[in-house]
Amino acid sequence: MGRTKGSGASTSKHMPPEGQSPASSEVSTSSTTSAESRIKESLKELFSLIHQVQEERSRGEHNLSNIAKTHERMQQEQKITPYYKSKLRGLYNTAMQDAEGEAELLRKALDKISEIKSIREHRRFGDSDRPKPIMRRGVLMSMLQQNAATLPLWVSKPGERPPPLCGAVPADNNYVVKPGDKVAARVKSSDGEENWILAEVVTFNSSANKYEVDDIDAEEGKERHSLSKRKIVALPIWKASPETDQEALFPKHALVLALYPQTTCFYRALVHEPPKKPQDDYSVLFEDTSYPDGYSPPLMVAQRYVIICKEDKKK
Amino acid sequence: MKGKGKSQDKDCPLLFPDLECIDHVKLCPRYTAVLSRGEGESIGLEELDGIQVDLETLLNSVGKRLKVLENEIQILQNWQEKNGDIKPLQKAKGGKVQPETPGKRGKGADEKPCKKFKDSAGKPVMPVATKLKTKIGQIKVPEFDRVDSPPVEISKLPKNNAVNKFWASVEPYCADITQENLKFLEDLLRSHEDDSEYLKVPPLGMHYSEKWAEEDMMEEQKQGAKISDKRSNGITPESNGASGLLKTADAGLLDESPFGPLTQRLVSALIEENIMAPIDDDMDTDYTENESLNESAAISPKELAKQLNLGNTAHLEKRIKRELEEQGILDFDDDEEDDENDEILRELRAKQAELRDICAHNLQATKRLYKLAREEIDQQELRRKLSTSDTEVMEAYRKIQLAKQKKKTPTKKERETVIKVLKDREPIVKALDI
Repeated sequence: MGRTKGSGASTSKHMPPEGQSPASSEVSTSSTTSAESRIKESLKELFSLIHQVQEERSRGEHNLSNIAKTHERMQQEQKITPYYKSKLRGLYNTAMQDAEGEAELLRKALDKISEIKSIREHRRFGDSDRPKPIMRRGVLMSMLQQNAATLPLWVSKPGERPPPLCGAVPADNNYVVKPGDKVAARVKSSDGEENWILAEVVTFNSSANKYEVDDIDAEEGKERHSLSKRKIVALPIWKASPETDQEALFPKHALVLALYPQTTCFYRALVHEPPKKPQDDYSVLFEDTSYPDGYSPPLMVAQRYVIICKEDKKK
Repeated sequence: MKGKGKSQDKDCPLLFPDLECIDHVKLCPRYTAVLSRGEGESIGLEELDGIQVDLETLLNSVGKRLKVLENEIQILQNWQEKNGDIKPLQKAKGGKVQPETPGKRGKGADEKPCKKFKDSAGKPVMPVATKLKTKIGQIKVPEFDRVDSPPVEISKLPKNNAVNKFWASVEPYCADITQENLKFLEDLLRSHEDDSEYLKVPPLGMHYSEKWAEEDMMEEQKQGAKISDKRSNGITPESNGASGLLKTADAGLLDESPFGPLTQRLVSALIEENIMAPIDDDMDTDYTENESLNESAAISPKELAKQLNLGNTAHLEKRIKRELEEQGILDFDDDEEDDENDEILRELRAKQAELRDICAHNLQATKRLYKLAREEIDQQELRRKLSTSDTEVMEAYRKIQLAKQKKKTPTKKERETVIKVLKDREPIVKALDI
């Protein structure tokens, strides 16, 4: 199977297995090859994890079909005997154990994937002072899309609650955004306008309580801003699943800040429809005075780019 | 994924949800592709995103299944407890803690995520509560000072009352949650199980004209009874009662068959009817035969029922319906079709739909409140511990102060106490995540 070569996560062709070419213009080859071998190892582990997941699932299916049969029989009875009740309980408990085991394996596999990704990211931007490559608009937009789609999904175990920064759950008061994470930053542009823009955190100055952030869509040299903590809102790092954690999603008619499609700015909007499935987007109505009723038609915005709106209406 | 329908048992609260595995071949193509590779092969980096999406879909369906199962097990448990099948203190696998075990401070899973998971509702409540407590503390402190010198300060006490009244009125909103509150919520949840009562449509009662006629008859009878009592003692009025009288009056007019419509249809389908009258000379004989047949059929259906010993025609109707449905001849219809002209029924159904929605909403809100209340109780427990350890720390501090005042170095024992109480306090603070 092919592997990507060197830097860049863009689409790649399949390469012959012996293509362990050292990455160009990266840090020293020794660390690169060790990172690559780690990646290779992790991929192998992921592969075996996936197979294990499937084994668990096929084992559990037998029990689930038993449950379905018992349901049918029970539904035909006039009165449900204690025998059936305890039998059903036993079956349910087994099914729960199976499901928990399956969830465990799935979570491990997903963790493995994020591990591989972080190794890759680290390898790519190992040199933190290197200026980021300037990207064309189209490439930037598709990168934003991809980021949104691959945001990890949070599925609560029974009795668990969604953590901070999962969907609509706000961050703790003393949460510090890590360098490299994305935030919405309220910056004053050169003509005095204040806008919420999409930015990436560089560092946090704890003594002054200020963040250094980089506008992801700015020319060389004009991108870095230093802003107080109050002007920074962290973007969610988990997606919430509508089927298990309804309370971690913004409800209908909630006032939010959402990224306008094809731009890198956040604007006020009302939630029109929350997502129905985990990979769905929010449908929002942006406040827009150019429309007769003051709101745009519904537009789709990914979960990653919808945050709570705290400011009062200006203008 | 919703229920396959309720069982025949009217009492059964179970939902019988559909628990099938999702079809990974259809919904997770990249996952399936990986599975189809043999041993010794591996995954490409570019496939990671696709695989991540598929794995998340699977995880989502597993999470949903777990929640549904947990719910069902809880319903089953409650139901069995209600019927007294099992002892109430069994723990379900889902790790639910029964409120009758107040000593335990939450499930094991709760302790660990306690640090990470913030109850966002809890945070605003906590500062308000502490503010309230400090305010009460502040007010109490000056009061204590004043009590020490009563003769001079008595007149000042009444002035503070208004403030006290305010804090007293706010107290119920900021007070600690008790087990009683939890019990109240549980009862509220359980009361929803009786909701199905409201959703039944009662059978049509007597039409009001009949009812009024009956009541009028009763009135007249009473009058008559009074009069006849005066004339002759003890002759009981006709025990038939007004309803009987009215029925006999009506029955003669209609001669209804007591059999239900289905029964009638079935029987008429089975009777061979000579629709076409034969045009032969034998017509006369056949005709007379038909006539005699008709005559025999002219027995009132009621008497026929008595002859055939068919006691309860309503039961017969039901049995026939069920038999036909099972044979597949008649289709199942779950709800009886409502008479379109029946406005009252229509209104009733509309209200029932509203009630259903509101009940579902209430149930959901109560469940959520219950969950939050349980967590809040755990937090409260921790806070209480924190305040006790705070007082211990203050004690130790005061001792040290005292020692310093007396220009004596604090003894080793005091120092050790200080270290110990500080150490004890740390884990509690960590657990509360202040």
